[in-house]
Parts: sequence; structure tokens; C-alpha cells
Amino acid sequence: MTLLVVATYPVEGGPLVLGPAFLETDGSLRVGDAAVPHAQGTAAMLGAACAASRYLGTSAPWALIAGDIGRGDGTRAVFNALPAALAQARPSVVAFHYLQPIMALMREAVGAVEREAPGALLVADAGGMYAAKAAGLASRFELMTPDVGELGFLADPAATHPAYVSHYLFGTDGFDPVKLSGLAHERGGAARVLIVKGEIDHIAEQGEVVATVAEPLVPALEAIGGTGDTLAGLASAFLAAGFPTLDAAVCAARANREAGRVMGATPAMRARDLVAALPDVLRDNLCAWSGACAL
Amino acid sequence: MLFRKKDRREAPDAHEASGLFLFDQVPDALWAERVLKRAGYDYALVAPPHHLRAGCDLAVAVPRVEHVGAERLLRESGVPVRGWVDDPGSSAAPVDLVTTVDFGDHLMVRAGNMKIVVDKNTLVIVNTSGGGCPDIPYLNVELVGRRLDEAPRPKSLGYTLCGLMLDRAYEEACALLGVEPA
Repeated sequence: MTLLVVATYPVEGGPLVLGPAFLETDGSLRVGDAAVPHAQGTAAMLGAACAASRYLGTSAPWALIAGDIGRGDGTRAVFNALPAALAQARPSVVAFHYLQPIMALMREAVGAVEREAPGALLVADAGGMYAAKAAGLASRFELMTPDVGELGFLADPAATHPAYVSHYLFGTDGFDPVKLSGLAHERGGAARVLIVKGEIDHIAEQGEVVATVAEPLVPALEAIGGTGDTLAGLASAFLAAGFPTLDAAVCAARANREAGRVMGATPAMRARDLVAALPDVLRDNLCAWSGACAL
Repeated sequence: MLFRKKDRREAPDAHEASGLFLFDQVPDALWAERVLKRAGYDYALVAPPHHLRAGCDLAVAVPRVEHVGAERLLRESGVPVRGWVDDPGSSAAPVDLVTTVDFGDHLMVRAGNMKIVVDKNTLVIVNTSGGGCPDIPYLNVELVGRRLDEAPRPKSLGYTLCGLMLDRAYEEACALLGVEPA
């Protein structure tokens, strides 16, 4: 039961790295022997996944990552290396995260997962989600974690990027997560389960909102870069630990919010502050939330 | 208005009279925009036609009648153009939904799903968030901790549509806080 995160990190020319990820006591992240710089994105996602897997006593998440600052070079490198990485890591969950949204590469990647790791659950956030939807592959995914604007993109069959979401989806009160979850599912733009991040987190299964998480309300979390990444990391790690997907989604939303409360979030804090709060949050709450009680 | 347009492009039939320059990368489209703007061309940044999109593209629309001159100018300036589409049909412009949240000492500006957060007292950028392309964490590293009036523009550092939308948020934050954009 292993999570493999496929992503990039924001270092120009940063090398391709494959291996288990570890969160050091000073909060820094290591993949194999390589240090991954503190940043939103991959470091935040993997940091949260490490915290969850450590609490649960499950395998450390694996990462296949390369440096990319937006030109797509690192993205191409990780996609090229994916078949071999799948053969080595034998993941039960594969999460596509910060990647240049290149549809053709995502089509090959999903094919590679189906060949090399049959049965593995697919998760997508960030550019991985953009590519999966734009390539028409969203319905093959188990879990996606859009914000409400990205949900509008998932619901718009013509959009290939959230920057081009049709305005007709945007009502007078903004995007409606309940309506758009249904539309996205109906039009083949959504994973089986969605966590729609927002002031209230909506969890939808096959287009129907089946749970919401609204407490604690920590408005500053929206301002902090990387808190969506920590949510995706938590959900992916819970999924790899064997949680049913809806439980993984609800527990991730709860833990992320509670960490925001515990750290006393302000708009100037960083995702690594939230990751640092997670061990206590999981220790104090996860047993009651899910029955996953550390011995 | 997200992108500068001259009055004559506001005519109802102006869109039909435009064609599109296509590019392999967003920075190339932004480079073309700068070249055409400097030369006084009428232009708009838009989505390429659906069947020609690779996933994260941007195209530049100019009136068809100016195609030849504009293409020559781009070629002479060294801008790599993938091609020209004479009849693009409907081409959506990037979303222009800008909202703000006032946290007291901090102002957050959202453009689409991209956000920038500025300390109102010091003008220091304390956070950027949203978006999923690889230049977003890079822009976060490059921008956070710098003053709004000293930071480079996100569109001069970024490579994708996410970076372009963050630039829109940056532009609005500058306007609201009385800062001249870089």
C-alpha cells in the first residue's frame, strides 16, 4: 500500500529524483538523498502525506519529481521516467500534482499506470488535474481536489484550462459547488470523488454532494499558498492507508482546517507551518474521526 | 478589462474580423504581445481554437487585415510563431473575475483562482496561491518577501496561464494600494 506522487519542484534544472519521501525534524523534506526546497506545491503535499503516513505507521510516500519552473522540462522528465518508477514502487495510489498540463503526456501516463500498476487508484490536483480533465480522462480518476473556480473548469466541457472557464457557469453568487459537481460528473469532467475546497469543503461522489466540512472556519487558510496542497497530500496518504475514499476526503478536510486553527493561521504564514501542526492534530483527532488509532 | 483593446475592437463584428497567431509556449505569446503593443497594433490575448489547444496555450488575436505586417514584425523581432489561423471561430478570453478580501493588515486579491496577498502597511507580498502549473511554486519563491513596488511582474517571470492570471491579481493589488506596476 504505497502512495506515489508524480510532480515537479520549483528549481530550474533540478534533477529527476525517485524514492521515498521523509520529513526531517526541522521540517525539511528529503526524497531519497535529495533535499526538496521548502515551497508550496510538492513540498507541502509530500510534507502532509509524510505526516499522515508516519502517524498511521504506513509506508512513507514515494515521489517521482524533477525541477520545473514552468517550461515543462521537468514535467517531461517525470513522465518519461514514470513507467520504470511504477515498476519499482508498485504503488496502490498514484497522485499527479504540480505538472505542466500536457494532455498527450497524461494520456500516456494513465496508460502506463494501467499496465504497470493495475488497480492503483488515481488522484489528481493542480496541473495533473488540468491535464487529466483536458485530455478527457477525468472519469478514470478516483479523487480530485479542485477549488470552486477549478470545479467550474471541470464542469465546462470546452475549457482546457481554468483561465478559460465559461462565464455562464458563474452565477450571481459565484460558482455553485453543488450544481457544478453534478455538471462536472455528468459531462465526464470529474473524478469519482471530489473534494471541492472553499469556505465550506464539499465532498461529492459521482456528482452528488454527500458531505460537507465547515468547521473550524479559518479564513486565512485561503490566503496561504500550499494549503490546498496539504489537503491533497493528506487525502492521498489516507487513501494509500486503505481508508475508503469518502473517509479519506472528510478526514483530510477536517485535519487541514484543524491544523489551521491550531497554528493560529494568519495570511502571512506558510504551508510548512501547517505541516508542522499536523502531527499533533492527527494524534489528537484522527482516532475519533476515523477509528484509525495509533498504538 | 484584462487586456488592452482599442475602441475599434469593441465593435460587434470586430471579433469575426480577427485571426490568431498561435504559439508553442505562453511566454512566446506574451513576447508577441509586447512587440505588437510597442508597434501600436490592435491585439487581444485569447484562447486558441479548441481543436488546436495543447492544454495550456495562449494565442494573440489581431485583425486579419493586419496579419501580414504583424507577422513580418514578429518574425523580424525573433518571436517564434507556430502558425496563423485565419478563421478561429469563437475564442474565449481568459477570465476576468477579480475579487478582494480584506484581512485587516493584509489584502488578498483574486483573479480567477490566482491570489496574491500583500501586507498593507509594508507593501510586502506575504503569499501567493492558487493555480496548478509548475511556475506557481516558483513565482511564490520569487515574489514572497519582496515589496509590491520592487517585485518583478509575475508575467515577466512566469511561463503559463496561471502566471498570467497571477499577474492580473498583482496589477489589481498595485491599483488598490496605489503602487505603479513594474
